[in-house]
Amino acid sequence: MAGAPSTINIVAAALGGQGGGVFTNWLIDVAQANDWAVQTTSLAGVAQRTGATIYYIEMIPKTDQQAVMSLFPSQGDIDIAICSEIAEAGRMLQRGFITADRTTLVTSTNRVFSIIEKIGLADSTIDPDEILDLAQRYAKQFVGMDMQAIADKNKSVISAVMLGALAGSGALPFSQQSFADAIKASGKGVDASLAAFNAAFKVAAEGQESTTDTTEENEASTAELPNVDGFPLGDFPAAAQPLIALGIERTRNYQDADYAHLYLDKLKTISGLDNGDKDYELTQLTARYLALWMCFEDVPRVAQLKLREQRLEEVRREVGATSDQIFYVTEYFAPRVEEMCAVMPAKLGAGVMNSALGKTVLGWFTGGKKLRTNTVSVNLALRFLAWLRKFRRDSLGYQHEHRMIDAWLTAIVDAAPGNPELACELARCGRLVKGYGDTRHRTSQQLLAIVEAVNQQSITTAEKVSELREAALADDSNQQFQAALKP
Amino acid sequence: MAERSFAKEVLKLRAGDGDVFRGEGILAITKALLQSGVAYVGGYQGAPISHLMDVLNDAQDILGELGVHFEANGSEATAAAMLSASINYPLRGAVTWKSTVGTNVASDALSNLASSGVTGGALVIVGEDYGEGSSIMQERSYAFAMKAQMWLLDPRPNLPSIVDMIEKGFELSEASNTPVFYMMRIRGCHVTGEFIASDNRAPEYSALNPVAPTREPEKIILPPNVYEQEREKIAQRWPAALEYIQKNKLNEWFDGKHATLGIITCGGTYNTVIRALERQGLADCYGNSDIPIYVMNVAYPVVPDEVVRFCQGKEHVLLLEEGQPAYIEPEINTILRKRDLQTKVYGKDLMPHAGEYTGHVTLLGITRFLETADNPAIECRFSSSDVNAMETPLQDDEQQALLKNVPPRPSGLCTGCPERPLFSAIKQLQPELGPFHISSDIGCHSFATLPPFNLGNTIMGYGLSLASSSGVRSALPHKAISIMGDGGFWHNGLTTGVASAVFNEHDGLLIIINNGYSAATGGQDIPSMVEPNSLIATTMDVAKSERDDSVSIEQACRGAGVQWIRTISTYDIERMKATLREALNSKLPGLKVIVAEGECMLNRQRRIRPLMNKAIADGKRTVKARFYVDDNTCTGDHACIRISGCPSLTIKDNPDPLREDPVSYVDNSCVGCGVCGSNAHSAVLCPSFSRVDVVHNPSAMDRILWKLRQRVLGWLQARSTDQHSRAA
Repeated sequence: MAGAPSTINIVAAALGGQGGGVFTNWLIDVAQANDWAVQTTSLAGVAQRTGATIYYIEMIPKTDQQAVMSLFPSQGDIDIAICSEIAEAGRMLQRGFITADRTTLVTSTNRVFSIIEKIGLADSTIDPDEILDLAQRYAKQFVGMDMQAIADKNKSVISAVMLGALAGSGALPFSQQSFADAIKASGKGVDASLAAFNAAFKVAAEGQESTTDTTEENEASTAELPNVDGFPLGDFPAAAQPLIALGIERTRNYQDADYAHLYLDKLKTISGLDNGDKDYELTQLTARYLALWMCFEDVPRVAQLKLREQRLEEVRREVGATSDQIFYVTEYFAPRVEEMCAVMPAKLGAGVMNSALGKTVLGWFTGGKKLRTNTVSVNLALRFLAWLRKFRRDSLGYQHEHRMIDAWLTAIVDAAPGNPELACELARCGRLVKGYGDTRHRTSQQLLAIVEAVNQQSITTAEKVSELREAALADDSNQQFQAALKP
Repeated sequence: MAERSFAKEVLKLRAGDGDVFRGEGILAITKALLQSGVAYVGGYQGAPISHLMDVLNDAQDILGELGVHFEANGSEATAAAMLSASINYPLRGAVTWKSTVGTNVASDALSNLASSGVTGGALVIVGEDYGEGSSIMQERSYAFAMKAQMWLLDPRPNLPSIVDMIEKGFELSEASNTPVFYMMRIRGCHVTGEFIASDNRAPEYSALNPVAPTREPEKIILPPNVYEQEREKIAQRWPAALEYIQKNKLNEWFDGKHATLGIITCGGTYNTVIRALERQGLADCYGNSDIPIYVMNVAYPVVPDEVVRFCQGKEHVLLLEEGQPAYIEPEINTILRKRDLQTKVYGKDLMPHAGEYTGHVTLLGITRFLETADNPAIECRFSSSDVNAMETPLQDDEQQALLKNVPPRPSGLCTGCPERPLFSAIKQLQPELGPFHISSDIGCHSFATLPPFNLGNTIMGYGLSLASSSGVRSALPHKAISIMGDGGFWHNGLTTGVASAVFNEHDGLLIIINNGYSAATGGQDIPSMVEPNSLIATTMDVAKSERDDSVSIEQACRGAGVQWIRTISTYDIERMKATLREALNSKLPGLKVIVAEGECMLNRQRRIRPLMNKAIADGKRTVKARFYVDDNTCTGDHACIRISGCPSLTIKDNPDPLREDPVSYVDNSCVGCGVCGSNAHSAVLCPSFSRVDVVHNPSAMDRILWKLRQRVLGWLQARSTDQHSRAA
């Protein structure tokens, strides 16, 4: 039955709560207003809480015969796929719903992270570019845009943007006006929805490609380098200078200029051993992690960060408060005896840590605290705590951290001449050290365990160090790390 | 107050003769019930028929005008027992539930109903939760229909057929004195379309016109009646059903030019068959097919004469019957064998035993059938290897790339869910007292078995967690832990769980999560309502709960003999941890019950959001709270997410050029429940969390204090900046 009329088949993939149902209802109204027969179905149920949901829509011009429409999206039988998020476009590709001979793919390029990506100990996010690349290759027509950004800009929701993008793609034979009419008829938040719809329509119709900007990576670009006059930056390889400049700035802000010089001294030992492979990778890695480690987050540091000048403006912008709106910020602090002792002079701190009485007394001041930062009393208290950094060099915490830092650097220095790859892997392990409280303890102990194993020569290869680092980041119970550490 | 209001859609139920009715399948069924003169309706919510219950709930006015009685039943067993009204009286009744789980719960009453037989039409509308989008184990309702001898309707999934089959279903039930299952698949429940309505019909008997009580002792299920009832099923009800089905053409024939071939399909899979044939060039989109099709809108009983008539002169017939085991296939083979017909019947040899017959599966099966039949007059567009290749156009390495980059999205608890802090508390206790074996239950809390909590070992059914811990408890190193929702508690947990545990001196811990609604099924009301929780940081906490006739779970447990009960707000994580510790370490004998309270956040937001907006518009001082992560102190370890999983607590690129791992980030969907802050406290995580209270319509005092503080803080800031620059 060649040349027979057939339905236009549309899958819409959205996440629970994104308004896929609203989108579908608009589409029904558009089709009916154009005298088309339309059938939709969806998979609701518990999947809609946070999971991925699929709506399926078929439509065909009305005749006196009733069309029989399918309730299933079927591989190789999809004319339009519309996705509210790029990984969902990946899922449509995976399921075979995107075929080069007929499918128009309209997708958002933004990310909504899944729980699996969020719970990783480091960076478990997926690479959307790989999906984007496949999507562009396999779709007959590809329309991509950051729908969430358009929705936010127009103070609307993503469903209106989806409708605009679909209308603008020209994949359906209906006028822009008839889509807009459907939104108007829905009678709720019409102006914002229409603005979002029109913005998306324009992007789709004018064929602009994805608006994701991949150049804005976490690279330390030279454009915004801090002023580090007076520091011998030129002694270091050019490739590492941007990072080192940031390190200088960070350590100076953390303590003082002398501390920044100490940073450079320590780094100098490493860069002197760097054979220059991969743009002085060893120096770059060490520059990064040494700066972070030397600026360990003790009580004065946290207080200092909470007092930073721009902070309240950051909060105001984030919560969307107007410039004259009153808001209060209540911090959740939970200092432990360990953190308190860490700011004490080394001998006193160690004494208290070993004294039951001392710990009991300090215990009165530990535990969960809720403090309103933007009140005068709390602000003064924070200023006092931040001021304590003057005495940091004598503190228990400082000595403890610097002992660990030196052990780490020594291992790198020892490895660099004979096994530069091993040295690089050791440097890379600096990434492990992070977090607070028990997390901080676990991660730094893992790094020390690696250093110790290398010192004992029970580990001799870069691969093994890399494997241990992966194991440390695999779970927060330390189990996989301990298993990997066993010879 | 259900999650979705159907107030607008319900108006469509007033449509009269000739009006075009547009809407969802579920709404069409409701309309069809009213057009059929139904006298009473009931059921228990659950996907995919939750909306049917919600629509009925929202349609009280219309039901009342017609004199139709509605109950939101306590369980499927209650609903099934309700159908006994149709045993003695010509009352048409319909109940609904999720199947097969609901059918299992209802089975006692259904068996007895089927034995007694009915005078008034009795319909059980089952939402067949099978295939993609299902939330339960994969079984079909067919076996139940067979063993109790209830008929099973499986109409074509378009609104006119769906509506027509409701009316016919009642008639079939009355003609054969047999209760009838009316099966709706998931997608069929949510299908949209239109049909021509007719007037609603008031039932003959109702509160407005009561029946005269009569007794028919032979219908009571006691011996010797039961023997006679069984004989009657075979001798009278069965033939009566076959006669009605044939006379009223409940099953449908579609002729086709290739008369030696045929396809037998159940109504529910008809559309998929047409699409497969259309794609092969053997049908058009209006259902005109080259291959003859016999559509069984009645899946049970099979009508032997019709099968024989269809198969006569056919060499090859394909039967499409979803799921396993096959029931219809052996039946058809038996019929053909007894009538000595040599038609070759294909079924599970070409189609998969397990799983839904999706578009792709059906296309593949039909293609293989046509290839096997090898009719020279038929040329398919696609061979079965073509169809196989359609499953994905991607190369292997591209599939691998997608496997790596398309993350699974398991269901999880909503933003601000009161169940989250409970599971955070349990997860935090696990290193100290665990690892735990936990008997889980049906409800939103089932999601705790998924990442990031990974808590829970078994799920045995709705309200059955405590019951399911009774065997394993003797072999556990810790006191048995069972978690149950308030929905499950009232559904049957009180009796099968609590009463039985007390009787058997169970000394484990039962946690009852009391969020005030049957939340997972769409927020329907249940007997116990919680008081709004004052720990949630908003000003509207004082709003009163809507029902004042609420029944207390605590009192119910005490009545069942529980001595040790604690009621705790879930949001108080520290106290929850302490209480859990106390219960698990307790030397006292007997069941320990913790009622973990916190109102379902979806319902709560629906309730308070309009109030807050109104308060702000009215110029009242209102505080809106939300949480915030300081990206300067966050080091990107995500421990906070691993004990929360809140959708609002997400990640973003690290703004610090030195750091590489993404930082935690609270997005604008935060409702300020406070769990991330409490977790930061109780798990001693980090100093990055803060609560931001934005004040709308500040009082004079607010403004004075604010100005004063701004001035002093500004001065302090300037002074320190000054010092800093001098030092540098």
